[in-house]
Amino acid sequence: MTIDWIAFIAEGIRMATPLVFAALAALICRQAGMFNMGVEGMILCSALGAVIFAHYGGSVWIGLLGGIIIGLATGMVIAFASLTGKADLYLTCIAFNLMATGGTVFVMYLLTGEKSTTSGAFRSYQIPTINIPLIQDIPVLGRIVSGQSLLTYLAVIAVAFMWFFLKRTRVGLRIRAVGENPKAAESVGISVNKIGYISFAICGVLCGLSGAFMSMSWVTFFMKNMVNGRGYIGLSAQNMANGQPVGSALASLLFGFTDALSTTLQNQTNFPVEFLEMLPYLATIFAIIITSVIAINKRRKIEQGMAK
Amino acid sequence: MAEVMRMQDITKIYPNGFVANKDITFAVGEHEIHALVGENGAGKTTLMKILFGMEAPQEGKIFINGKEEKIANPLDAIAKGIGMVHQHFMLVPSLTVAENVTLGAEPMKNGLFDFDGAVKATQEIADKYNFNVDALQKVSDLSVGQMQKVEILKALYKGAKLLILDEPTAVLTPQETEELFEQLFKLRDSGVSIIFISHKLEEVMRICSKVTVLRHGRCMGSMDIAGLNEAAISKLMVGRDVVLKIDKEAPKLGKPVVEIQNVVKINSIGKNVLDNVNFTIHEGEVVGIAGVEGNGQTELSEVLAGLSSFASGDIKLNGQSIKGKTVREIRDQGMAYIAEDRMVEGVAGDMSIKMNIVADRFTKPDFKKGMFMDAKKINDIADQYIKDFEILCDSKDQPVRMLSGGNIQKVVVAREFTSGANFILACQPTRGIDVGTAEMIRKTIVKKSREEGTATLLISADLNEVLECSDRLLVMRKGKIAAAFPKANEVSEETLGEYMLGVKEMTQEEMEGLL
Amino acid sequence: MNKTQKIESMMEVVRILVGLVIAYAVALAILFAISEDPIYIVQQFVLGPFSSPRRIGTIINLAIPFTICGLSMCFMYAVNKFNLVGEGIFMLSACMVTWVSILLAPMNLPSVVMVPVMLIVAMLTGIAVSFIPAIMDRKFNANVVVVSLMLNSVIQSLATWILRYQMRDSSIAYLGSLETPASIQLPKIFGSFRIQSGLFIAIICVVVVAILFYKTAFGWKMRLVGANPRFATAVGLSAVSISFIAQLAGGAFAGIAGATEMMSNYTRFQWTTTTQHGFDGLLVAVLAKKNPVLVPIGALFLAYIRIGADVVNTSGDIPTEFVTVIQGIIILLVAAESFLSGTKNKLIFKAAEKEEKAKEAKAA
Repeated sequence: MTIDWIAFIAEGIRMATPLVFAALAALICRQAGMFNMGVEGMILCSALGAVIFAHYGGSVWIGLLGGIIIGLATGMVIAFASLTGKADLYLTCIAFNLMATGGTVFVMYLLTGEKSTTSGAFRSYQIPTINIPLIQDIPVLGRIVSGQSLLTYLAVIAVAFMWFFLKRTRVGLRIRAVGENPKAAESVGISVNKIGYISFAICGVLCGLSGAFMSMSWVTFFMKNMVNGRGYIGLSAQNMANGQPVGSALASLLFGFTDALSTTLQNQTNFPVEFLEMLPYLATIFAIIITSVIAINKRRKIEQGMAK
Repeated sequence: MAEVMRMQDITKIYPNGFVANKDITFAVGEHEIHALVGENGAGKTTLMKILFGMEAPQEGKIFINGKEEKIANPLDAIAKGIGMVHQHFMLVPSLTVAENVTLGAEPMKNGLFDFDGAVKATQEIADKYNFNVDALQKVSDLSVGQMQKVEILKALYKGAKLLILDEPTAVLTPQETEELFEQLFKLRDSGVSIIFISHKLEEVMRICSKVTVLRHGRCMGSMDIAGLNEAAISKLMVGRDVVLKIDKEAPKLGKPVVEIQNVVKINSIGKNVLDNVNFTIHEGEVVGIAGVEGNGQTELSEVLAGLSSFASGDIKLNGQSIKGKTVREIRDQGMAYIAEDRMVEGVAGDMSIKMNIVADRFTKPDFKKGMFMDAKKINDIADQYIKDFEILCDSKDQPVRMLSGGNIQKVVVAREFTSGANFILACQPTRGIDVGTAEMIRKTIVKKSREEGTATLLISADLNEVLECSDRLLVMRKGKIAAAFPKANEVSEETLGEYMLGVKEMTQEEMEGLL
Repeated sequence: MNKTQKIESMMEVVRILVGLVIAYAVALAILFAISEDPIYIVQQFVLGPFSSPRRIGTIINLAIPFTICGLSMCFMYAVNKFNLVGEGIFMLSACMVTWVSILLAPMNLPSVVMVPVMLIVAMLTGIAVSFIPAIMDRKFNANVVVVSLMLNSVIQSLATWILRYQMRDSSIAYLGSLETPASIQLPKIFGSFRIQSGLFIAIICVVVVAILFYKTAFGWKMRLVGANPRFATAVGLSAVSISFIAQLAGGAFAGIAGATEMMSNYTRFQWTTTTQHGFDGLLVAVLAKKNPVLVPIGALFLAYIRIGADVVNTSGDIPTEFVTVIQGIIILLVAAESFLSGTKNKLIFKAAEKEEKAKEAKAA
């Protein structure tokens, strides 16, 4: 059993891309005080949207735009139900994810007559990969850092942008204020609902990017339930990092590697595939346990007066 | 004097059918500190929320400087020069003073939030009106008095010409109150009109020039303060003379029921919220705890009720330690608990009156018939207590949230007073409820201590209440017992204020024998 | 106050009904828009489920697992924990029942022994699986929703592994288990309706859960904890352990649901993905407003639309997946507080005003 470690690391970074977007999408809602499980379904819808727009528009860029538009639209649906309709956010998201699972198959069937994948009926488009001059020639590093999808580099930029956005812009400040004390924000005339809608819009764009990566980079078609829990994994990643952008990205990277490990082992060993498939989910569960234990111990120590 | 604001024939009915305001007309003039008084639940806060655009009335008009205006949300209100300082502070703790002050009208530079500009603007206004706050400090590090200043700064920064203060002195010490009044005079002189909501009539008499009285959601009239006295206003407010005296005989002390020994509690940010607390409560006495809110009273009650743990020390209830015990075990040891916030810890709003009344005891064997609950017994008990405590309701199966505040509190006390406990932990037992129910609760507390020998700890922000109901009085400050007095009704509010604020502190020797 | 209460409870029923009607109308609109022969298709969707005794029987048969899953979710929902692990349990318990029954087959035990044993296996499976998110919630305060969804993915792989490596029948062309012994295959009843005898299991479950919720101390505890956990703690109930036990109980019922489905409808275990039953259970519990007595009604309604979709699928080639969209719309409408709240408030305002006037008239 030989494993190509360099390819593995490159694969890990690649697999982390949709997770980073998902984590940032969940993060912006969390900063505004909302636990948005709907990212899962939003990404799934965006993935299908990207493929449809690309096929009918005849261009990968129209596809990318389509993914973003669908991400935005689905974000607005959840925002409308929970903010304007005042439905419980958990229930809204569960219901929405349910609709996304069935709805994507339904739409796919109407357009292609297929129920499992669009690969036969739709032309496949791929978001270009970028070779970085100079760096691509460095051994090892070149193979890892260079030649990734455009969206992978965009994910890195998105992390920095999110940090800057929350700290230095007016909307960022208002989002944090709403998340921490909505009544205070409301009392100075900030519309909590409007801030909620803005957060969901940003969340939608990020989900769009995540979905576009899934159906135009990870693979080049849409298939039934292809997101497969990545939205939830992103959600857990930002939860582990307490809603901080950089930490969330690092946690996503960790999960990306688990995902890569699972696929690498599936391709290169004959270990039962079912157990390898469990890896990313088990890793998430363990990560949740570990972060909670750390948080609880820290609090206990302070309360027992040992921190002094 | 020109009118800056007039509310005409305002009617507001809440979704639960409660008529909060009915045909109220209320006007404020230039250079005026105008008192809006009324009992809790008279509709003052609702009326002000309507003026500030936080609630929409079903009927009525609002005029600002003589012009009819629609105020649909706080933003409209702010734009029309109205500022409001809420009873519960509307601040974001993790942000700085400058960020809180400018939030909603942030200074911008190159399309980004201008933090330095915000600090500068905040400091300028603070200096102009002599407010001593640091714009760079985080709000979570401020004292209550300073937080209130930040609240007023917020309104002034946005150009408020009419300032609404909703019970601003409720959380302040007498000395902080003085400071606030000085600042209010300065604001008035510089052209800001002020609506001062309060039920402390002596404060109203001192600083206001006009007063409007509300009662049960209706306006009882607006008049000049000159020529009025407290008794006249209070008569309008409640329709009868306020009875604040509770006649009680001297307590007959029995054995110690609750012994609190060197209790220390540290909160999640490492602060000692209870710092070496020591005192004992005996059979047959009511021990009162006064103090500015946020000085450890809530933590003390949570520790005593078994809702949170403490780091060191010990608490004995009827001779046994409660350390590490569950709420169930502590209740079985003889504790009953009237929680500070009844909707949070006192009742389950969606559940029936019946379930709420037996919530602490239905798990006991005598409420069971085989595997099932003894429905008849539970129904009988519920009917009995609804009658005994005069709970106004349609039936015992009605959800508690449909009742009025006072009747909800009656459900709470019906449960806690009948639990058979010999220690009653009463936290803010009459907050926000009608006078009649408050009187019933206070009298029952005293009666139980005299007739049944119950030990009571009364924690209240209502000074009248602690002074009248308690036998012994303790003052809490910064998590410590700062003072102790043998006879509560002989302590003056001024003396109390000095200990609450920390101008004076008693030594251990002075408190010897009183803890 | 009395009037307000009446208006509130009346509007609650109206809201659910209007929600159902709207969702149903959306379903009809979708069918109308996409099919070539809309009138025939809509007619099939609405009336098709009642067109033969067999189909009516199928509605009831489908409602059986929905009912039991709905009861399972009532437990989770009652203590406000959206523990969605029922989805995985349903699959795993069917898998475990098959496996254990195959292992026990050589002993040739009669049905009266085998069926109860299978139900116990299913309940234990449910409790064991539900234990994981429940204990993580209790000990580490971990988010139950995320953990249970992750766990569902793990379970799906686990059940598939058991099927592939532990009980696969290599003599058949597709991936399926060995046949289960006849002693656990439940018979059909009521002649041409072909209703499953699992119906009795569902009825017993409804009765047991209803009694548990409304007549026992544990049911009261759960409802108090769900209504206000801090209050429940303050009066001496252990909110954490009650919601923990409620989640285990919910898991047990999800297990029963999976076992009943397996024993009624299949002779081989052949699922490689989860079956949506857990989420269907959530819909049913939401429709029933966590009241176990109303659960069968919600389940029958869901089964009716599902069969309608099946009929349409066979007669008009329209994929059944559109029903999940309808299901989502129903949950959203029923859960949305402000849906029709304007109407409710107007009614209350009118009632209050009337009362006020009456009072004033009296005073005058």
